Amino acid sequence: MLGFLKGLSVTLSQLPKKKVTIQYPDVQPEWPERFRGVHRFIPEDCTVCNQCARICPTNCISLSGTRDENKKLRIDTYDINFDICILCGLCTEVCPTECILMSDTFELANESRDKLYLDMHWLYENQLRYTQRHPERVAQEAAKDHEEAPAT
Amino acid sequence: MWQWQTQPLTWSTFLAMLIGTVVILLLALGVVTYGILAERKVLGWMQGRIGPNRVGPFGLLQTVADVLKLFIKEDVVPAAADRPLFLLAPVLAFVPAFMALAVIPFSMQHIFTAGIGTGLLYYLALSALTIHGVMLGGWASNNKYSLIGGMRSAAQMLSYEVPLGLSLVGVALLAGSLNLNDVVRAQQHLGLWFIIPQFLGFCVFIVAATAELNRTPFDLPEAESELVAGYHTEYSGFRWAFFMLTEYVYLFAMAGLTATLFLGGWSGPWLPGWLWFALKAAAFFFFQFWLRNTMPRIRADQLMTLCWKVLLPLGLVNLVLTAVLKAVLLKG
Amino acid sequence: MDERDVVRTEEMLLNVGPQHPSTHGVFRLIVKISGETILDAEPVIGYLHRGTEKLAENLQYTQIIPYTDRLDYLAAMLNNYALCHTVEQALGVEIPERAEYLRVIVMELQRIASHLLFIGAYLMDLGAMGPFLYAFQERERIVQMFNEICGARLTYNYMRIGGVRWDAPPGWLDQVREFIPYMRERLKMYDDLITGNEIFLNRVRGVGKYDTETALAYGLSGINLRCTGLEWDLRRKKPYSIYDRFDFEIPVGKNGDCFDRYYLHLLEMRESLKIVEQAIEQIPSGPVLGKVPKLIRVPAGEYYSGIEGARGEIGFYIVSDGKDKPYRLKIRKPSFVNLQLLPELLRGESMSNLLAILGAVDIVLGEVDA
Repeated sequence: MLGFLKGLSVTLSQLPKKKVTIQYPDVQPEWPERFRGVHRFIPEDCTVCNQCARICPTNCISLSGTRDENKKLRIDTYDINFDICILCGLCTEVCPTECILMSDTFELANESRDKLYLDMHWLYENQLRYTQRHPERVAQEAAKDHEEAPAT
Repeated sequence: MWQWQTQPLTWSTFLAMLIGTVVILLLALGVVTYGILAERKVLGWMQGRIGPNRVGPFGLLQTVADVLKLFIKEDVVPAAADRPLFLLAPVLAFVPAFMALAVIPFSMQHIFTAGIGTGLLYYLALSALTIHGVMLGGWASNNKYSLIGGMRSAAQMLSYEVPLGLSLVGVALLAGSLNLNDVVRAQQHLGLWFIIPQFLGFCVFIVAATAELNRTPFDLPEAESELVAGYHTEYSGFRWAFFMLTEYVYLFAMAGLTATLFLGGWSGPWLPGWLWFALKAAAFFFFQFWLRNTMPRIRADQLMTLCWKVLLPLGLVNLVLTAVLKAVLLKG
Repeated sequence: MDERDVVRTEEMLLNVGPQHPSTHGVFRLIVKISGETILDAEPVIGYLHRGTEKLAENLQYTQIIPYTDRLDYLAAMLNNYALCHTVEQALGVEIPERAEYLRVIVMELQRIASHLLFIGAYLMDLGAMGPFLYAFQERERIVQMFNEICGARLTYNYMRIGGVRWDAPPGWLDQVREFIPYMRERLKMYDDLITGNEIFLNRVRGVGKYDTETALAYGLSGINLRCTGLEWDLRRKKPYSIYDRFDFEIPVGKNGDCFDRYYLHLLEMRESLKIVEQAIEQIPSGPVLGKVPKLIRVPAGEYYSGIEGARGEIGFYIVSDGKDKPYRLKIRKPSFVNLQLLPELLRGESMSNLLAILGAVDIVLGEVDA
């Protein structure tokens, strides 16, 4: 008969509890290392293998490159259309040199769809921003690269 | 000049009345403003959130900003609506709700409000009038959800007037007066708040009052998950604000009534009378917010069953018990 | 009585949705009512149709996985698994032990998260505000754990054919271990808050009743079937993954009404916790991705396997012509199937029961429309 009183006592007991929300624009959420936000890109590592563009389920990556004087492929353009990108992270998985990576930038809202078409420069700047925010993570990545390099 | 209730009507007493009305209006607006903020804060706290805190310190100006936004919104009248009635409905709803405040004794002396001898009846009569505004609003909108909402609220508010009135009779019987100030004095004289000798009546009253206010768990007329927004689905801008204002002014009036009838009104030790009154009214407010966070909505068909098959008999039993109590204990 | 004396009333067509506070997405229900009695109801779906099945025909198997996240977006892990499981069955690949355990842990956590949201949203439909936000507090913890293991909060893309994408990060399993007692305590709180509430009971008891025959005739699965008393859970009946190693119960209802459907969600969360607890104790170390060719070619043929999703049997039916892309992919979407009973359930009911019934069917429009 008086089951609802139990419910009332439950809600009352929640009143003094610590609040679980964060003051979002003032306090940024902490994202874990694996968080898949907007991509970051390191142009000098790219070998223009085109694997990322091929694995992309939505075909949102387009890239082009040319051979330089040493016959090595250099990346010229690298665009990601974030209008259709679903941030699945498959491109980062197949990249042999780990030059396309995910960052923790997540605020993609924009007034125009054109602004969601992000090129190599923006993506590289995003990498620089990421380095600034998480120097320890980038250093870790570099150390891992260094470790793996002699083995291959 | 302030004793205008007993004076013949002259220009100066009329002026006093006018000032009194404006003061009460401002008071009501202030209570509504901060009542809404308190509701959002309390709900937030109960849900592990902070509640509004952006506009002004601790979000104190949040409601002000919201109201300001409502006032500068375009006044939209749907093309298919019954225009005159649509425009009239919010006013019709608001006026009686505000008028009901006239008999609430905020402190020992009726400074700005009327101490009429039939205060209780006056309150009941006026609170029933609000239904017209609500129903007209639902009808005039020419929207199916509004219509259902309006009809439901008419049925609900009319039905619950009966147990509400019955539960008040017990109090009136015990106090021996319909004047609200006399009811408070009776409680002071008895040295006991009526919530104790009238506990059954209080239970009936609080359920009926919640239903009258259209608040959870009786918020069927505006059940947002079923009827979008019930009778005020088509309203926006300041007309919608009027409906909201009605609701909260009515909540304020009901809080005042509860405090007066069952919690001893302005009477209490140490603190000034108006503060006691405010505290008791605030307790009623808090209770309503608390309910809102906990309770699911009652079903429409069970609403009537509860009213006629549970509350009405309980109210009658309470009336008989009170009469017997008064005849045996107080006289004997 | 003479016919002229009877007050003539007209039937009213009421459009519930596609923009309505409690259709849980873009779902439209055309209801024909007479007074407050529902004469007929017709669900209109397709507002969220994205052509997942057709799109899949042009995608490699690995590429389909992120698309499955977007079917039932409240239980993406289970969708991930359903696809991977079907492809793995077709390929006959060996899945490392640790990967299997990780999969079970995330799948059961996902089931809890999904059921939590059901309870919150259902109570919201019935007008109670609190439980919705309480449910989100626990769900947030699960989602945050998923975020740490796979880098996304909703569209996980965590499983791969032959295993999982990542191993658990350091300390992650301890987090899950700590979560279990916390969640148990919160479940008790839900019991106090909701299950005993008379108003709630009056709204859901005996409402939207159907029996096992009807449920089977309509092909219902999951809680919608178990609430009628039939013990049918694919985890038990057709054990996939490593579910045969765990000790858990299949709660079943008695009456097949909305209350049973609600209460089974609560009970199932308890069982899921049990599974997670056991899985954490048993989890071995080792690799998390089996040996799979880089380009997955499913041998020509037709394959189907279904798993127990959060809403019922979610299955993928693959027709392959031996290429790296499916020739045809058909998804058995539990919400879609469960929805078919709705018009029949609503006919003759009172308007005020509409949302109690609709909410208890527990549809996710991403899955219904695919």
